[in-house]
Amino acid sequence: MEWNFRNIDKEAELNLKHFFWKCTACGTCRSGYTFGPPPTFRKICPQGQKFGFEGFFASKGKAALARWMTSDPILKNEFEWTPEYLKTLYTCTGCAGCQNQCQIDFKPHIIDTIEAMRAKAVQDGVGPLKDHNVLVQSMRNNDNPYTGPRGMRAKWMKGLDVKDINKEDSSVLYFAGCTPAYNAPIRQLAVKTVSVFNKIGVDFGTLGKKEVCCGSTVLRLGAREEFKRVAEKNLEIFKNLHDERGVDTIVTSCAGCYRCILEDYEIADDFKDYMDGITIKHTADFIYDLYKEGKFEPKNEIDMKVTYHDPCHLGRHVKDWKVDWDGSQQWKGSYLDVEDKGTFEQPRELIKAIPGIKYEEMRRNRNNSYCCGSGGGVKTAFPDWAAENAALRVEEAEQTGAEKIITCCPFCHANLNDGAKVRNSQLRTIDLVELLDEAL
Amino acid sequence: MAGDPNILKELQGIVGEEQATSDKHIMYAYSYDMSFVKNKLPAYVVLPENAEEVQQIVKLANKTKTPLIPYVAGTNIGGLCIPEKDNSIVMDLKRMNRIIRIDEDSRYAIIEPGVSHAQLAEELYKRGLRFGWPVGPPSASVLACAICHGIGGITGRYGLNSEQITSMEVVRPTGEVARVGSCAIQEDSWHSLLPLPLLNGLFTGWLGTTGVVTKIGIFTPAIPPEVEIVTTATDTLQDMYKYMLQMGRYEIADDLTAVSWWLSQVPIPYPYKEKPKDAPEWNSYAVLYAYTPKELEAKLEMFEQTVKDQQKAGSSLQVTQYPEEARRARTELPSQIVGSTKNYSKEAGGGISWPGTFTPANRWVDVWEKWRDIYTKRNLSPSVRVTMYRGTHYGMLRAMTPLNKQYPDQVENARMAIVEALQVLLDNGGIPYKPPVDFWKEIFDRADPGFVQLIQDVKDFIDPNNIMNPGKLLYR
Repeated sequence: MEWNFRNIDKEAELNLKHFFWKCTACGTCRSGYTFGPPPTFRKICPQGQKFGFEGFFASKGKAALARWMTSDPILKNEFEWTPEYLKTLYTCTGCAGCQNQCQIDFKPHIIDTIEAMRAKAVQDGVGPLKDHNVLVQSMRNNDNPYTGPRGMRAKWMKGLDVKDINKEDSSVLYFAGCTPAYNAPIRQLAVKTVSVFNKIGVDFGTLGKKEVCCGSTVLRLGAREEFKRVAEKNLEIFKNLHDERGVDTIVTSCAGCYRCILEDYEIADDFKDYMDGITIKHTADFIYDLYKEGKFEPKNEIDMKVTYHDPCHLGRHVKDWKVDWDGSQQWKGSYLDVEDKGTFEQPRELIKAIPGIKYEEMRRNRNNSYCCGSGGGVKTAFPDWAAENAALRVEEAEQTGAEKIITCCPFCHANLNDGAKVRNSQLRTIDLVELLDEAL
Repeated sequence: MAGDPNILKELQGIVGEEQATSDKHIMYAYSYDMSFVKNKLPAYVVLPENAEEVQQIVKLANKTKTPLIPYVAGTNIGGLCIPEKDNSIVMDLKRMNRIIRIDEDSRYAIIEPGVSHAQLAEELYKRGLRFGWPVGPPSASVLACAICHGIGGITGRYGLNSEQITSMEVVRPTGEVARVGSCAIQEDSWHSLLPLPLLNGLFTGWLGTTGVVTKIGIFTPAIPPEVEIVTTATDTLQDMYKYMLQMGRYEIADDLTAVSWWLSQVPIPYPYKEKPKDAPEWNSYAVLYAYTPKELEAKLEMFEQTVKDQQKAGSSLQVTQYPEEARRARTELPSQIVGSTKNYSKEAGGGISWPGTFTPANRWVDVWEKWRDIYTKRNLSPSVRVTMYRGTHYGMLRAMTPLNKQYPDQVENARMAIVEALQVLLDNGGIPYKPPVDFWKEIFDRADPGFVQLIQDVKDFIDPNNIMNPGKLLYR
């Protein structure tokens, strides 16, 4: 299977270099700002806030890293990998907060540029970081990033009435993902998803032990070969399930799996052949659609004030970029527009539909949400900082008076709870399905 | 790693290990901005958190004779924060980002250098106040804009942003802290520079060569509830100038600006593109704010009378309908949309510079005609803006010049156009603002020798070791 990855130093027209040289270094990317009225100013870049220097900060910094890596045409510098450069490259959570601010042709290509630089680090044998290598090795050995044996993947299902889709037909595959399977504190996410599906009356099945990681974690680190291996396995599994078991919808609990299968698998040449007739949905979207179709109504009153944390991979990462590749509308490579396909309102509507719930928005939300700090391999290599950053988000949630933070991503979920511990906060994060399960 | 490890160690001793670095890739990120000015790597970057740390860094720079460059966002388009000398320290002030106080009754705010337009706009709006927001990015520093004679959307009514400074705290190049204005007499009183000697002049327009401004008070006028934007077009700058002259005389507009057809495009065409024959060469807007509907009505009446008078005199002036986005861009500032990134340089990519000047309005036409030739010969759009300043008939005359920083020959082409344009401008009595070093050569070649000597004497007096942004004033 051919994968059309973008490379940092590929000498072709409209390559990444063309786009990162479009950055004007204006710094608009550094803060979330809207005129309003009223005007709103928000810190948006976790990495920049923490490390301070230009170079760490937002897409302006990433353009600088890319220019330095590929040699500045005036300075003609010879690039050398250094531990400090790698630290700068790998302390970005890839949250795309900066991408949402940028107004120029670089905008659609910011995340690709970051990931292409990391891929180059891996290609040159210097990346990812030491702690990441454990993750990559685990993927190689176990098809998951958590060093958990394959046989343990289905442990979370013990005692639950779940159809084995390898043996029985169903139109819905519940792709639980690695985090609920191997991270004990997050196990309830999958358990409660099953409970909600059963209460609503969804006919679904899981792959059990045969589920394979989506590959998101290794792709974000630049380990493309490992990503390709698991992604190709998954595409074959999905196609077989479609042809033999009638699967037409894959539902993921994890924002990372969702973004990866939806957006990253798409660069495979054969993607359409493999995924023809299959829709990928996050549980929040899937349940929301059933709610709008009148399939269920939350009945149980929950007397609680909550707020919602937008996962980056479920929200602002999911976009349809309009680029004038052939120059027929503006000029070659110009950024024309963007269609937001992110899941922003669905979880909020579901939360507000629960009787007794009081909802308060955090200052930073939706496209200008503040990343929890877990993404891009940061939680693996810099766990203390990831939790410290999450503590800032928990502090923001505290300001709403919420008693619980609701989210839709197991990475955010775990990291926000670590952040609460950092600031000795009683405020805990739970998944949307945990809240819904109580309301049904 | 760049630089002397001992100096780095001392810097880290002042601000903490994580807040000073010599890592080369970080130095690179500070080696360029959006201008044509050639890259130069500093040797150190340091992030102080308060004036005390700034003082210690300044003292270290004096002890080691190390060049020191103040920096906040690096969004100026004159290369002002790019080192001129080897082994420089860039002092990035973005951690000093407190809005210390907004005095709603006296209508001023006290801010640190790291406060951005976006940050201050949010707080002022809550109180019904505003500032002269420029069309730069929302991330730009309010303080840096003010002390470098930046302009904003209220220049027609209130003047330059530097004229809004009400008090100042400075760390001098020798490390002492000094206050100027009312805060020098009463610690908590930041309302006025006058009637004391205007010592702020030692630190305003000097491009960071005479000290580090660590706090300023700025005047923050009220947001009037009524607003109307009136727009016109003419075939020539001569007609537009006459219209603006009459409108300027009435002093009714917060912003009175005209732009050439090339600048009115979004973005500026790059390379040069022919103007359609039927399109007017100049478009203008006047932003009319008022506190009551009656006041606004009176202002509109004066505008209509101006149009009638001009048309009667044979002008090509026409009242036009502005596109909605363009209208909003006039008042919804600061803005991500109208900043120098999207509107100006998006098509070229990577950079923008200018001959940005203050020029008597009666010289605009002569300069424009020569600029148009210079720019079109170099295949660049003559994207020129003219703006009337408060209570006078001089104002901004500048050519926004996009450039593609990926290609050194294109950068050099833009630089040549800008310098040639500046030469014409200086010979017509204009003065550049936020001038890069290339401009100083042209200025000093023409300047009164007494002026040149005074500049050098003041610099020598205030900064005996010449550590503050050395080379930015050409001779110092």
